[in-house]
Amino acid sequence: MTGAQPKLLRHETVLAALTMIAMAVLASLSDKFFTADNLLNQGRLMAEVGLISLAMTFVIVTGGIDLSVGSILGLTAILLGVFWKNLGLPLPAAIVLATVCGTFAGFVNGLIITRFGVPPLIATLATLALYRGLAEGISEARSVRGYPEWFFFFGQGEVLGVPFQLWVLGLATAAAAVILGLTPFGRATYAIGANEVAARFSGIRVNAVKLWIYTASGFCAALAAVIFVSRVTTTRSDMGTGLELDAITAVVLGGTSIFGGRGTIIGTALGLVLIQALKNGLALSGVKGDGAIVVIGLVLIGAILVGALFDRNRGG
Amino acid sequence: MQAEQMSAAAASDVALPIALAGISKSFAGIRVVNDVSFDMRPGEVHALMGENGAGKSTLIKIMAGLHQPDSGEIMVSGKAVRFASPREAHAAGIATVHQELLLFPELTVAENIFIGQTPKTALGAIDWTAMRRRARQLLDELDSGDLDIDQKVIHLSVGNRQRIEIARALAQDARVLIMDEPTAALAEHDVQRLMSIVRSLRKRGVAIVYVSHRMPEIFALADRVTVLRDGHLVGTRPVPEVDEPALVSMMVGRSIDRLYPAKQGKDGDVMLELAGVCHRGAVRDISFQLRRGEILGLAGLVGSGRTETALTIFGVTPATAGRILIDGKPVTIASPGQARDLGIAYVPEDRAHQGLIRPQTIEDNIALANLGRLTRGFFVDAAKVAAEARGAIARFGIRARGPGQPVRQLSGGNQQKVVLAKWLATNPRILIMDEPTRGIDVGAKAEIHQLMRKLAGEGMAILMISSELPEVLGMSDRVLVMNGGRIAGEFDKAHATAEAVGTVMTRSYARERAA
Repeated sequence: MTGAQPKLLRHETVLAALTMIAMAVLASLSDKFFTADNLLNQGRLMAEVGLISLAMTFVIVTGGIDLSVGSILGLTAILLGVFWKNLGLPLPAAIVLATVCGTFAGFVNGLIITRFGVPPLIATLATLALYRGLAEGISEARSVRGYPEWFFFFGQGEVLGVPFQLWVLGLATAAAAVILGLTPFGRATYAIGANEVAARFSGIRVNAVKLWIYTASGFCAALAAVIFVSRVTTTRSDMGTGLELDAITAVVLGGTSIFGGRGTIIGTALGLVLIQALKNGLALSGVKGDGAIVVIGLVLIGAILVGALFDRNRGG
Repeated sequence: MQAEQMSAAAASDVALPIALAGISKSFAGIRVVNDVSFDMRPGEVHALMGENGAGKSTLIKIMAGLHQPDSGEIMVSGKAVRFASPREAHAAGIATVHQELLLFPELTVAENIFIGQTPKTALGAIDWTAMRRRARQLLDELDSGDLDIDQKVIHLSVGNRQRIEIARALAQDARVLIMDEPTAALAEHDVQRLMSIVRSLRKRGVAIVYVSHRMPEIFALADRVTVLRDGHLVGTRPVPEVDEPALVSMMVGRSIDRLYPAKQGKDGDVMLELAGVCHRGAVRDISFQLRRGEILGLAGLVGSGRTETALTIFGVTPATAGRILIDGKPVTIASPGQARDLGIAYVPEDRAHQGLIRPQTIEDNIALANLGRLTRGFFVDAAKVAAEARGAIARFGIRARGPGQPVRQLSGGNQQKVVLAKWLATNPRILIMDEPTRGIDVGAKAEIHQLMRKLAGEGMAILMISSELPEVLGMSDRVLVMNGGRIAGEFDKAHATAEAVGTVMTRSYARERAA
């Protein structure tokens, strides 16, 4: 991607500057914003949508979309509770098994998309309903609580003064950036998004790559579910509702083209931070929830317009 | 005397349907059209020629209102105009038949002809009767009365779609019709038909800008020819005053050896063998052998199963029956990746769609089929990728700023060289080339032909598909003719004449249609 990189980095430079400005403004609006405690706590809140956004970046770079991640999160959370409480499995086994189920849900998405050629939007719209319905059916509207103390470490614990899930997110971000930017798998991902036919004609195993990516998307949603349950200490079937849109917003704000072929993990990370900063900072400065959403919408439109401007300047 | 000529020229200027004076246009700081003047007289066919990248496309896009010139003047009927959009160019009577036909596949023939200018009834509803009558009339004028105006365009052949585009231009009362490589995708009998349509349009006073690489068409049709090179105007000449070598040297600035390179060495062992290979109804019972060092030509009309056969060998549409043998050993090819690992390379017919990832760079495109070799540990070796691309640029003479340039910005010939470079980097033993020189200028064409011969001389087995009969006959050591998914004839070099091959191609076509 050497040729494409300078212009992608330009988008990211703009985004980084924007994030910096937003931080500065928010810090001046509220003295609580720019404190270590608040920032680390925001990092904690960001982890779940962050993990999902990383996989979503790959999905969108291939020109696809995964709307079912919020439902997979809900389903995994419910299964975790049910495996432990109702089936009496040991909690570690329940965690692993639920994560496997969430990953499998992503794998099923991939199968529907690659084997039957269903457009990702339709396929995952269907499984969005399907997985959420399963979660609600299994939970029978009961929540699960009373998890043992050690389990809360994933969502509430700290390592070296930094929330545990922020370490997870950091490592996952680094891994995702390396995979997308430096490996043959990453090259294949970009190629599929830019021109799937030409990628196939070049000997790229298009379906295998896509299957991996949708499976990884399920896995990330499942990890997020475990952290989520641990953070809020209960399991409910409506967990993660609408999370897919937050993830897509972060990815698109980060400069990934919704048509595929372009985007970076760094961009997604910046998009995430900017959204979280806006949400938190505006709330702290007394702007109501609706106001924050409006601002995020405006920022998204602005970022896309700037991106389009770059596109035009490229010419050719 | 001179004054008289001047005034006569000035008087005729007023009547010129379009005249460009001193047009320049730059993209990203690169001047692609430089001080070009060009004019059209009513009822003339004016050929516009030049190698790819010479600036023809940009010039016709300026006339069609898609691009605005940086400097220079456009005059329509003596009045200076500035087209802000294609719509304004249409209004001024300038229509374009694009290389990629821009029709709506799900609409009918009549709807397509009148899209954007539908006849209305007094109540403002679409006047279907008038529309169908006018459509019928326009197609009759184009000698295409056989077209069903109520049929959806999706079912029509390229030749028929093109006639619809021409009818659409006539429906707009076009006085200038720009045709961008109209015969590039046409079979021979469609070409003849198109040429007679062009002649009848000329008789009606329509001025036709005819962009083509094909010399015979230029000499059969055009009244004048304008040649561009590297964005500059080389000259405008009446066609009777030039001959083919003169045009070629105008285009390339040097004289080109138009002869097809001669065979070197002898054929070796059988490298690829097909025995009764089928793919659904498109590829039927194909059997042939391809030897080391041989160039085997696959002739046939578009849709006769040539490309489908190539796709089956390459694993895009795996064989449903029959056997494929490489070096005498049966192999299974279920994907392009497998085909590549067996030493098969396929340079596809559709460069933009199948051959290249156009937004990506030259080095990314070349690396894509070679990722396994260009990876160290888990990571793509960026230095190796760049070195590979630089090597290819030097070896194939690709005209580019560097390995980091997006292939979209290259001319057709250079794009084709990138596709070739990508596949030759896989070190193939069997090379399938589908329309290897389609839409490529004479200079690049000769280079690619020489390269093919050299590769064959080095022991590569080459299967070449081409719709250009002279190319098939000139390049091939042996010719297979396909029709209706089958092999209808085989000719060795001595017996492969245009008449013999052409007869088999078309005879089988008629039988297929009747069946």
